[in-house]
Amino acid sequence: MTLGPFATSESLTMGVELELQLVSLSDFDLVPASPDMLDLLARAPFPGNVTPEITQSMIEINSSVHSGHEGLVAQLREIRDTLLAAGDRLNVGVCGGGTHAFQQWSDRRIFSKPRFQEVSQLYGYLAKQFTVFGQHVHIGCRSGDEAMYLLHALNRYVPHFIALSGSSPFLQGSDTSFQSARLNSVFAFPLSGRAPFLLSWNAFAEDYFERMAGTGIVKSMKDFYWDLRPKPEYGTIELRVCDTPLSVERAAALACYLQALCRYLLAGNEPAPREDDYLVYNYNRFQACRFGLDGTLVHPQRHEQMVLRDDILATLKRLEPDFEALGSTAALAQLRRDIEMGSDADYLRRAWREGGSREAVVDAALERFRQPEPALV
Amino acid sequence: MNELISAAAQLAWPLALVVSWMAGELAHRWTGVPRISIYGLAGFLAGNLALEVQGPIDHSPYLLFASLAFGLVLFELGYRINLRWLRANPWILATSLLESGLSFIAVYLASTWFGAPPISCGLLGALAMATSPAGLVRVLNEQGAGGQVSERAMHLAALNCVAAVFVFNLIVGVKVFQTSGDLLHAAGSSLLVLAVSGLLGAIAGTLVPLWLRSVGGKDATLTFALAVLLVVAATHVLKLSPVLAALCFGLAARHRRSALGVTQRNFGALGDILSVLLFVFAASTLTWQNAKEGMVLGLLVVLVRMVVKVGVCAALARPSGISVRKGALSGLALAPVAVFTVLMIEQTRRLGVEFNYSLAPLTAMALVLQVVGPIITQRALVWANEAHQHKEV
Repeated sequence: MTLGPFATSESLTMGVELELQLVSLSDFDLVPASPDMLDLLARAPFPGNVTPEITQSMIEINSSVHSGHEGLVAQLREIRDTLLAAGDRLNVGVCGGGTHAFQQWSDRRIFSKPRFQEVSQLYGYLAKQFTVFGQHVHIGCRSGDEAMYLLHALNRYVPHFIALSGSSPFLQGSDTSFQSARLNSVFAFPLSGRAPFLLSWNAFAEDYFERMAGTGIVKSMKDFYWDLRPKPEYGTIELRVCDTPLSVERAAALACYLQALCRYLLAGNEPAPREDDYLVYNYNRFQACRFGLDGTLVHPQRHEQMVLRDDILATLKRLEPDFEALGSTAALAQLRRDIEMGSDADYLRRAWREGGSREAVVDAALERFRQPEPALV
Repeated sequence: MNELISAAAQLAWPLALVVSWMAGELAHRWTGVPRISIYGLAGFLAGNLALEVQGPIDHSPYLLFASLAFGLVLFELGYRINLRWLRANPWILATSLLESGLSFIAVYLASTWFGAPPISCGLLGALAMATSPAGLVRVLNEQGAGGQVSERAMHLAALNCVAAVFVFNLIVGVKVFQTSGDLLHAAGSSLLVLAVSGLLGAIAGTLVPLWLRSVGGKDATLTFALAVLLVVAATHVLKLSPVLAALCFGLAARHRRSALGVTQRNFGALGDILSVLLFVFAASTLTWQNAKEGMVLGLLVVLVRMVVKVGVCAALARPSGISVRKGALSGLALAPVAVFTVLMIEQTRRLGVEFNYSLAPLTAMALVLQVVGPIITQRALVWANEAHQHKEV
């Protein structure tokens, strides 16, 4: 079994996938509504694309390929409005957030599609507690080698995306004390983590993938649940660590952050990645999951400690020319404001304290998805 | 000998409950039929057997328990209703008004054609409007159902129950006024009852969440169950409508977003045991004599009612956002009516109102749908692919 050739894409194009929650507006629990939603959505053309996910209370949307912030956010808003209009007719709420605050995993129903059924058979309860909701961002690469370079050069920035998107403080009705509890569900899978440190596409495809396929453990790239993985069919790398933010505006800003970072790294602004960079990788990732913007990072090469929030703000400062060149200064402003306002996880915890019930948390998420924070002044 | 009979009589009820429960479990496991269908069948047999042996039975001690059980179900139904949906999708309300209104009119006309007296036609029509929340909610929970058919059936059931209580009390008011001339009595059964019942529920729905927020406690189930008990008992004492009070309680509590966890659907074991009692009790009040007498008209009513409900829901399905097939299935899921009918009859009897002619066809309708209603609902959910066990791996 071999990986196909790495399709080339226009450099630095981007696409966003969002896994969204389908919630009953009656009792705020997850509701197996994806068949009814897809049925209703099929009556009119959909902006972008919408597909079922592993459980029926989840729906996945993806944008088309974009080069700048404006087009991306406009399309995501259009998708959101289409989903909300359909949901309103069916008493189904749509929202972001990496986990649902109180759903019980044993209640979830697997969408009837052979691949999903197989995954469920193999992983048992892991498949159902995998009712978590993530954002995936694709960045176009000109070649497989460029993809592998970016994939590893980005290693030190992965915690940034975890902290900025953290929106899963609750799991099965309890406060986990994490900002992103969702990633703990991902780490439980045997093929999660990071890609092997190989910087050439040929080495990755022939030395690593073919040997892994030869063991019979994997059949395709889909069997790897890595934080960052190459997607040769699209000619992209895919960042998979983000929780689905509570608003599509945050989702768009995160994608633009990744895009700007890739531009910066491709310009050779940083020393090349080394295998030893990964010594601190899991620790940094844990800090970001647990403490979000207040977490402490260890720099992989200089080994100095820094607060995640400061590191992100410093990075944003460095990337200003890149945001500008990409026409995404609005995304930069949004990111800065998001950091100031606090994470989505903080917002949900506030809703818990003020509303006094688990339903209030879900209600707050629904509201934030429908009406994002007031526009920038 | 007399002592022996008296001892047997004392054991009869507990024994009937246990045997009904066992039969329900076994039949559900072997054939998948809803447990409550079996409870109904068993209750009917037990009730008629006891009638043979013991003669007429005083139901009133069980009525309060049954009302409590029904109250818990209504509370849960109210808790799962989203009034804002009715504004967001006006077709739901249109479907409800049309299906309950046409159910009344069609059944009224059919029974008039059959030769029933006007008051009886009205009572039959009023009760045919409703869907029994007990039958519906128990089957939904048993199937772990979710989706448009389930969601719509719940909302339509809540609405048509309110409409049915409204029309029923109106007709009873007229009837009492005609027969006894007791104005106070008639007024007691009139619209005021609805308003006060609703208010009582709304007050409970505001106060209990306040208690939960300030005192807390992890498990809200017990708090709500006790509050429902109190509300239902209060409606008994004050001769109000327990249906409306419990439903409004659930609605108000829901809109205060107080937590009744999903793990406590059905009110746990408490709800389960009370539901055995409820369904066995309800069916035990149905006598074979009455059922036989009213069977033809009863079956006619069942048929007309189903045709109207399925027809209206299917006709308005497309504009309301689902396929015609799912629309028809949501109408089919509205089949259960028995427990609602029985409790309305029993509660009205407590007020001293007799049903005369309409009792026989109502008994027949209740008997048929007590057993068949839940099965129809279950089929509708399975055909709509909304039953949990159907797709579980």
